[in-house]
Amino acid sequence: MLRFILKRLWYGLLVLLGVITIVFFLFNILPGDPARMMLGQRADIASVEAINKDLGRDQPLYVQYFNFLNDVSPISIHNTGNPESYWYFGEEKYSGTRLIPLGNTAVFLKKPYLRRSYQSRRRVSEILAEAFPKTMLLAGVSILFALVFGVAIGVFIAVKKNAIIDKIALVFSVLGMSIPSFFAAILNAWIFAFVLVEFTGLNMFGSLYTVDDYGRGEYLDLKNLILPAITLGIRPLAIVVELTRASLLDVLSQDYIRTAKAKGLSKFRIISKHALKNAMNPVITAVSGWFASLMAGAVFVEYVFDWKGVGVVIVDALEKYDFPVIMGAVLFISVILVIINIFVDIIYGFLDPRVRLA
Amino acid sequence: MDNHSLISIKNLSVGFSIESGNITAVDNISFSAGRGTTLGIVGESGSGKSVTALSLMGLIPSPPGKILGGQVFFQNNSGPVELLGLNEQKMRHIRGNQIAMIFQEPMTSLNPVFSCGNQIIEAIMQHKNLSRKAARERCLDLFNEVRLPRPKEILKAFPHQLSGGQRQRVMIAMAISCEPSLLIADEPTTALDVTVQEDILKLLLDLQQAHGMSIFFITHDLGVISDIADDVIVMYQGKVLESGKAKDVFHHPEHPYTKGLLACRPPLKDRPSSLLTVSDFLRSDQDTELLKSAVDVHEAAEKRKEHHRIIYDKEPVLKLSKLSTHFSLGKTILGRSRGFIRAVDNISLEVFPGETLGLVGESGCGKTTLGRTILKLIDQTSGEIHYKGKNISQLSSGELRPLRKQLQIIFQDPYSSLNPRITIGSAISEPMLVHRLVHNKADKKQRLDELLERVGLSSEFANRYPHELSGGQRQRVCIARALAVNPEFIICDESVSALDVSVQAQVLNLLNELKQKYKLSYIFISHDLSVVKYMSDRMAVMQDGKIVELGEADEIYFNPKTEYTKKLIRAIPGTGN
Repeated sequence: MLRFILKRLWYGLLVLLGVITIVFFLFNILPGDPARMMLGQRADIASVEAINKDLGRDQPLYVQYFNFLNDVSPISIHNTGNPESYWYFGEEKYSGTRLIPLGNTAVFLKKPYLRRSYQSRRRVSEILAEAFPKTMLLAGVSILFALVFGVAIGVFIAVKKNAIIDKIALVFSVLGMSIPSFFAAILNAWIFAFVLVEFTGLNMFGSLYTVDDYGRGEYLDLKNLILPAITLGIRPLAIVVELTRASLLDVLSQDYIRTAKAKGLSKFRIISKHALKNAMNPVITAVSGWFASLMAGAVFVEYVFDWKGVGVVIVDALEKYDFPVIMGAVLFISVILVIINIFVDIIYGFLDPRVRLA
Repeated sequence: MDNHSLISIKNLSVGFSIESGNITAVDNISFSAGRGTTLGIVGESGSGKSVTALSLMGLIPSPPGKILGGQVFFQNNSGPVELLGLNEQKMRHIRGNQIAMIFQEPMTSLNPVFSCGNQIIEAIMQHKNLSRKAARERCLDLFNEVRLPRPKEILKAFPHQLSGGQRQRVMIAMAISCEPSLLIADEPTTALDVTVQEDILKLLLDLQQAHGMSIFFITHDLGVISDIADDVIVMYQGKVLESGKAKDVFHHPEHPYTKGLLACRPPLKDRPSSLLTVSDFLRSDQDTELLKSAVDVHEAAEKRKEHHRIIYDKEPVLKLSKLSTHFSLGKTILGRSRGFIRAVDNISLEVFPGETLGLVGESGCGKTTLGRTILKLIDQTSGEIHYKGKNISQLSSGELRPLRKQLQIIFQDPYSSLNPRITIGSAISEPMLVHRLVHNKADKKQRLDELLERVGLSSEFANRYPHELSGGQRQRVCIARALAVNPEFIICDESVSALDVSVQAQVLNLLNELKQKYKLSYIFISHDLSVVKYMSDRMAVMQDGKIVELGEADEIYFNPKTEYTKKLIRAIPGTGN
């Protein structure tokens, strides 16, 4: 199992290297001069050059690429003597410890440095650290909602196959799968936070923290989570229902289910023990895929409900050509995806012993 | 019901409703069995034997299945009960407890995600009032009883980690775990190697004696039953054709169908030029037929000698020298290999034009890999393959294409080797189009009809889909597909193993006819020594990737040199040992 995880981690690293390379060259081919963007079109040449030097943009592209790699890698080489060098281990950029000193340079173990936003000059890592927990919370709650209700409904209608309830559920799940998320978001906001606000007491929009103007300051407002989470969960829910039903029906026709029946087990036990564990693999695949993509920020839903997560950060940065933020966010999301995939592989191994061999 | 019988079935009928209407799978059958006896239920696929067994257990999938009528009286511990009228809860109490069942496919009958121990302990705890610990002990005892090696490891092992024979032993342990009075074994050895089959049969007999169980042994293979059954019923199209003491049925079969079933297995002692089939018996007077085959035997032996004189003077059509195919067991993180399985290990042999070379061995001996390596479907690790004097082992796939036309393969499973969404006609004509053997539609049509006729199918089959055909018909289609490109060399990889015995006889006859007509050479691969012996001129016995014995087929059968070959011969069912 350990080998298996190590192997997956190794592949994950390769994937990340690929992502870094593609992202770097993509954003360096796009037009746009960050110094001009920061200083405005009327800035003098000297300031522009100073900023370009500061960002390392006076170097050839391949040097910039290695600088970027060096910046994001947790183990990196830095200059310790010359504060003028881009590689200088300066406090305002890096934080970490020296591993192996090599004269004027040294190998460091440090936090990956994702650079600073062109716009706000804040660290990209700070911006992401602020937005990501909100996205993760939203994604986690909606996936949990989809999984719990989806599996329950899926099992129920699989058992009642061909009954009228089965047909109704199928119609709803097709509807749930095909409804666009921005439309569902607006519809939900309008129905539950406007028309029915008397009963629900929900806000039409709002983030995890609400700032109170009457002296309470910033406080946690969990009820703002409900509408975006349900909205985001609708499509995964519909898919989980469909998959659970199809997969369970397939499993129920297998030989080992007949064996279980021949043992004299009750129908409940056959489904809850013998069938469900076998039927879960496709569901886990689908759910993990959705979870991963929701982690990358559900742009429309976050936008409609003004939920200040990663999706909103990326959209803002794209609007303003704020490359470090976009690059940092893409990299960060890739890391999350790689980790989730490794995690899912481990769950597979737990659900199906046959996978453990591979 | 009479009091001394354990179970008696009266006028049972079972039907299935499918799209095109209702079919009666079991048609008004009656039989009974006493305590401690073995009843063989014999029939080909579709005869209703499995449906009968599942009805007794209340396991007919419903819908589409439906019990149409009849009664089943079973001598419960507390007195007789009528099984078909029981409610689900009472039936659950009988299932697994008093009537247990073993299924055909040990590969798929165990739940892949639970350990073997877990699945048996569950069965024990369902019916016996035992703690988990006591059930575990009982499970270990059972594993010992079914002669599984290292019971403690198997308790924790998952089904995919065991061999087919071991899985079937686990299934048997599960079935006898609650000491049932009736054990229904539905083709329990069909999917297993012959040598394993022999062990399992012996085990079942021993268990029967130890526990005083009754056994219903369902099989399509009369040979298997002749060794173990007390009574036999022969089923055909949902009806019981013949029943009685096993000895009587085997030695003095009454019904032509039973006679046909007995005759259509390839005989071991002599070698008729063609096999009798069930339909021969069903339609004509059997005495003249038997006579004809008796004449054939002598004539065929002479012909065979003559044939051998001719072919072994020729240059070999295929020559393998020191051929090896190894499979890697996976790679380490640094890309180094963790070891090899030597599936084909340093094999040298020759096949002469017009010869059938038989290749026999148990599953995993490498016979299939050898066949596929010859066709270059798998790359060899070392060694050379010469076809008609030309070294084909290093050819690129482009250079191989013209050769693909001459070398063809017929696979084992006629169900999965035909694409379900392609009509029979296009499946057969596709290779002709690929190799540009036909030039226009009329040409194609004519060739297609000709091929279908050759393999004994009418031309209207061209527009049908594989699922509309029976197993035998599908295998005929596969043969037609292989013949479509005018091959000279065909590898038959277990081509008749998935077929019923009577259909098997027809397909074997067809292969022999085609061989003569088109001057083909075959490599005939099978695990069934009796079939290989019948088909081959020379026969090679394979074990662990090596050829342990090679020679004239009759010579090997009558004077086996190695212990392994002797074991394979002993394991042929129905030879009465």
